[in-house]
Amino acid sequence: MNPTNAIAIRNFTKRYGSFEAVSNLTLEVEPGSICGLLGPNGSGKTTTFKCLIGLARPTAGTLDVEGAPVHPETFETLAYVPERSALYEWMTVADHLEFNRRSYKTFDRKRAEELVDLFRLERKKKVGKLSKGQHTAVALVLAFSFRPRILILDEPASGLDPVFQRVVLDLIIEAASTGSTVVFSSHQIGQVERAADRVAILKNGKLIVDGTVDTLKGSEKIVEAIFDQSVPEVAGLSTDPRVRRIERSGRILRAYVKEDSDGIARRLSEFSPKNVSVLDLNLEDIFINAVGGEIPSIPGEGS
Amino acid sequence: MPAIFTVDPRTGVPLYLQLIEQVKRAVALGSLAPGEQLPTVKALALSLTINPNTVARAYRDLERDGVIETSPGRGSFVRADGASTAQSHRAMDDVAASVFADAAREAKTLGLSRARAAEIFSEQLDRWFPAGDDQQ
Repeated sequence: MNPTNAIAIRNFTKRYGSFEAVSNLTLEVEPGSICGLLGPNGSGKTTTFKCLIGLARPTAGTLDVEGAPVHPETFETLAYVPERSALYEWMTVADHLEFNRRSYKTFDRKRAEELVDLFRLERKKKVGKLSKGQHTAVALVLAFSFRPRILILDEPASGLDPVFQRVVLDLIIEAASTGSTVVFSSHQIGQVERAADRVAILKNGKLIVDGTVDTLKGSEKIVEAIFDQSVPEVAGLSTDPRVRRIERSGRILRAYVKEDSDGIARRLSEFSPKNVSVLDLNLEDIFINAVGGEIPSIPGEGS
Repeated sequence: MPAIFTVDPRTGVPLYLQLIEQVKRAVALGSLAPGEQLPTVKALALSLTINPNTVARAYRDLERDGVIETSPGRGSFVRADGASTAQSHRAMDDVAASVFADAAREAKTLGLSRARAAEIFSEQLDRWFPAGDDQQ
């Protein structure tokens, strides 16, 4: 057990009957960092969160928060915002604040009131009358008001408009800058790209990408060559150790290059292409690369 | 605090490198003066909406490179000799080299001969560095 990790998930597997929702996942998150969890729907993000905070039992493996599996005291310092609202519909926004004020020793009332105003919530409104986005906002107000050391946020921006999505990112960044650890899932790659220092991508319950955003971006470049006619046969390119993968479509050749992209660009320029460019990868490229080939085409479009 | 930094998370260039380059450029050009205080890690992370560790990493590297100095509890400041350090000159060289590299590659793919490319480059040098304009 490494006590320096805020969260340590090791060899975690979760099966529902014969369906394996998560397979042998190992993921460690350092204190004070922001970890963004990406993955298509059904890839195992929510299942992982549920097992991490004790709402479901792992089939195998361990999930530790600050060095131990969750226990009642964990929740004095851990906030969990589920994907689906877990608020009391018949209670007002103010009732929820009062309820949490009594439940958490560290509840910061002034902070809570500021956040209610920030999200423009009406204190006297019953939660049952709120929109989906406002439900999320109330849950976030409650989570950030007791200044937890660890925040687990399952799609915290869902249902929020772009302005409030930015507010959520600001809250996450502020929490991390005061030393809190944040793990959040999102479908918005741009949010993860900005806020996270660490990104994990799940696909079919398996961890397929894990690293710092900067390392992942720096690990590969695309050398793209556009030719007049068809793409020529470039001898040795596909077996070149510098090249991870080659893509050909029409007159365009794309090489995903691990190192020496300029060398590859020079090699390709020997074949008189119309243009050669070296492109950086952004997180979206990395995501699509990893999740790969599963972007459904719209029926009736193209071939 | 002058809002002189912007980063683009959508590009492939790591954010901490974008930030380092901008600080070095600002110091070299003088828009950040010697002794001037930089925003705190938290303030800059919030104003750019980026990860605080990214800002902290950029500041650490800038300190290592002798461009800024950080004193605990007071903040980070541009070093008195920040603009004149060898590192900051080298940083400007790096920026220039990467721009020239792009231009040379473009010239090559446009099918220019080496001699013609050199001619065009030399015309541009004459335009921006007129005769008698000593290198500094």
